[in-house]
Amino acid sequence: MQTLFNDQAKNRSLLGGGFGMVTSNKRYVFWFWLLSLFLAGFGTSSFRESAHAILDHSLYAERLTHGFDLSVYIELLVRPEFGPMKSMYFPAHYFAAFFFIATALFLPGVFAGYVSTYRLPREDFFRVCGRNLWRFIRIMIIAGIVMGIFAGILFAANGAIVKKAGESTYEVLPFELQMTGLAIIFLVMTTLRICFDLAEADTVLNDQRAVRKSIATAFRHTFRGFGRLLGSYVLTTIVAAAILVGGVWAWMKLISPESLVGAFAISQITLFLLLIPRFWQRGIAVVYWQQRMLVPVVVVEPTAPAPIPVPAAPEPAPEPAPTAPTTPAAT
Amino acid sequence: MSQRIVHYEIDAKYDAAKHNVDATEVLTYHNLTGQALDHFPFHLYQNAFQPKATFVRDAKLMGSRDTSYKKWEDKYYGSEDIKSIEVAGQGDLTQNLQYIAPDDGNKDDKTVVDLRVAKPIAPGAYVQFKIAFQTKFPETQARSGWKRDFVLGGQWFPKVGVWWHGAWNCHQYHNTTEFFADFGVYDVKLTVPQYEVVGASGIQVEEKSNSDNTKTVTYHGDDIHDFAWTASPRYKVRESTYQAQMGPVHLRFLMQPAHWSQAERHEKITRETLDRFEKWYGPYPYKTLTVVDPEPDSAAGGMEYPTFITGDTNWFMPEGLHLPELVVEHEFGHQYWYGMVATNEFEDAWMDEGINSYTEVKVLDSILGENTSILNFLGASVGEREVQRLSYISAADLDPIAQNAYAYVNSNSYAGITYGKTASVLLTLEGIIGQDTMAKAMRAYFMKYRFTHPTKEDFLKTIEEVSGKDLRWYFNQAIYGSQVMDYEVLNVNSFPVNWYEENKDKKNAKGKYDTVYQSYVTVHRKEDFVMPIEVEIVFDNGEKTREHWDGQSRWTRFSYVKKAKVVSAEIDPDHTVQIDRNDFNNSYVVEPNTKATYKLSNYWLFVTQWLGQALAWWAV
Repeated sequence: MQTLFNDQAKNRSLLGGGFGMVTSNKRYVFWFWLLSLFLAGFGTSSFRESAHAILDHSLYAERLTHGFDLSVYIELLVRPEFGPMKSMYFPAHYFAAFFFIATALFLPGVFAGYVSTYRLPREDFFRVCGRNLWRFIRIMIIAGIVMGIFAGILFAANGAIVKKAGESTYEVLPFELQMTGLAIIFLVMTTLRICFDLAEADTVLNDQRAVRKSIATAFRHTFRGFGRLLGSYVLTTIVAAAILVGGVWAWMKLISPESLVGAFAISQITLFLLLIPRFWQRGIAVVYWQQRMLVPVVVVEPTAPAPIPVPAAPEPAPEPAPTAPTTPAAT
Repeated sequence: MSQRIVHYEIDAKYDAAKHNVDATEVLTYHNLTGQALDHFPFHLYQNAFQPKATFVRDAKLMGSRDTSYKKWEDKYYGSEDIKSIEVAGQGDLTQNLQYIAPDDGNKDDKTVVDLRVAKPIAPGAYVQFKIAFQTKFPETQARSGWKRDFVLGGQWFPKVGVWWHGAWNCHQYHNTTEFFADFGVYDVKLTVPQYEVVGASGIQVEEKSNSDNTKTVTYHGDDIHDFAWTASPRYKVRESTYQAQMGPVHLRFLMQPAHWSQAERHEKITRETLDRFEKWYGPYPYKTLTVVDPEPDSAAGGMEYPTFITGDTNWFMPEGLHLPELVVEHEFGHQYWYGMVATNEFEDAWMDEGINSYTEVKVLDSILGENTSILNFLGASVGEREVQRLSYISAADLDPIAQNAYAYVNSNSYAGITYGKTASVLLTLEGIIGQDTMAKAMRAYFMKYRFTHPTKEDFLKTIEEVSGKDLRWYFNQAIYGSQVMDYEVLNVNSFPVNWYEENKDKKNAKGKYDTVYQSYVTVHRKEDFVMPIEVEIVFDNGEKTREHWDGQSRWTRFSYVKKAKVVSAEIDPDHTVQIDRNDFNNSYVVEPNTKATYKLSNYWLFVTQWLGQALAWWAV
């Protein structure tokens, strides 16, 4: 693949290089956002329909329009005709699962697009996706097991520590330990995420059928480039948190409670922007892969073919020097 | 001010390591029953915290506010043992003690003990009991006990029952009941470790250090019917004076160190609440009020004792979240509805908790705003009156208000009916007799029955007397019955009277439509609570009309012939009815307004998308 041999990648910073890949491939963020909106639209349809039936003809609903009277909202949720909350939660969970699956399905194409120096044709994008589908599913399963075990152990340990701290007379201690524990868990889980992101990148870009090899390679490189990778991932996560907080703040402060269009716009802009940091992280993984994990190709200098030693035609033997002619006449 | 039937003199020593109190109690009882008494029942409340006690059994059956008792743990154990009891002039009668279970016959329940005296106590005579007892506190349950190095001493000493309506009234301690006791005088000496900061009911009259690294703090209380105390080495104390109608009141706030920044909030709501209660209901006569911010994670928050209340807060408490204000206001309200108007909390829990919840709505609305008295944060709001209504509608058809507090089907019904329904019923009553009349009735009730034990009829009759109205139709359904109210606008129709003509929408000479519409508004009573209601109908020419319906039949229909169509119909347009189970169907707007639906849907959409993104962030 000619596109993998990008000399510029060698000198780029992970953050800069990764962000450059996102900006060069903004369409992926857009399509994923559109997909999430589409799926969530389905996921919330039962809520919408139930709410229509109760709210649309009621003056009482105005208390939700002008400001947000939480008690009216709670009353809505407990109305029997609104339906059990399960009917609201399940579609939302299904949506989350669909979006997750869709991400897994289309992510290989994103990786391929990131390393491509030209706009990856649609056919190529989907070809890469199809080619890597089962590889990604295998990686996801392994990642799920590993991350699940780590998360389980860490959360259990954190819970036990916090519970123990609850015996302290220093009231804020459990909270402080909880936050510290969550920070540690975040760092550990991010490290694992880095590892599996590198594995995914390697699987796609190296066309690696044996994902265990990609995971093993990624594991080694996660620790070789630990500082750079973790720093980059943490920074992008902070960006994501800032986007979320800023978006919600802007929603609360800048949008009037009655403005439906404004609320929809600010919420979707926030969600769109919130997708970027994760794509950025994948860009970071790809840049790192290009810089450190790409199997070096032994460059063999083209050598001019040695002239076939054609045996030179023997020089014609010099003719013997003419000897003095004998004179026969002397006879 | 009160009859002062009892005088308790208690000398108690608290062992902070064992959470035990060893004490002697001298109880002088004035027999004002009008008859000779040959036996005296005593409450031993701390015996409730034993695995076979009625309290624990009820908690397992009905659900509990604090402890679920899924598994018994030693720290739950509490006890209150009378070591000896002597009656002046009759000698040691310890052998005459006998546990009784007047409510459920549970032989393993030891929360009531009966003492048969050797010689009956004559009417008008005084009798003195000398009791030696030991109380072991559990880890805090039902707002009593220890947590870490904190202790709240509530219901901790043998307390005699109340002679009420010709008989002893001394119920067992149940999961959903509180207490009932006679007014009197308390003189209590508490000996605690030197390092403890102590607070208690009544006025502190002395504090002296002892040679054994302890100190003895002495309290005196007049015209109170209980005595509680607390100790913790970590309280930070804030003190000030409130100028009440009957003289200065010493305010004392015992705050947790991590909550010190909220001390001002506690004081502010206390002062403002005192101000409203004095203006609206009557004077606060005591010289002191102690507000305790109890140990975090303890089950000691939100409790009332005479001149002594516990609040409830957390180290993280944004200004817009008014939970500390709610709890302090509520518990202070009990100084009136329990402390002074000392109703029977076993049998008429609604008269202290419910009436107090009603005044809580009034006071908090006044201080913090009608729709923001609980929450005013990040664009969301919640008002206390809606919280009470929601609490009610969660259990609307389960129990009536007027029944013993331990007879509810579960603790949710107890809370929803006792607190929420009573508050909602009294708020609705304002709409029937008028807010001013209701305010007068509440003041009259307080002033007439303070320092007594009124019954439910005393309260209801006071309202009828002040309002001059026969309200039995309302009380029978709302207080004594379990009827549920749900009125709805069933449908609204408008159509041209000449609907069958082809050119029915003709313009008149002035270019306006002259169409005459036949309109119908049908209102339906869905449930069994019958109450007259107002209905407001709005037409598209801006005209409004109000209709009155007595609600006797299942439905009624209003019809109109006008050059205007009906735009909307609304039941209870002034929003005075708080007991309607479903407020959404109280109105009908012909042209649907989808704003609220789409606003909420957008919230769900956002949360759903965010969840999906979060999952995808970590999982792939």
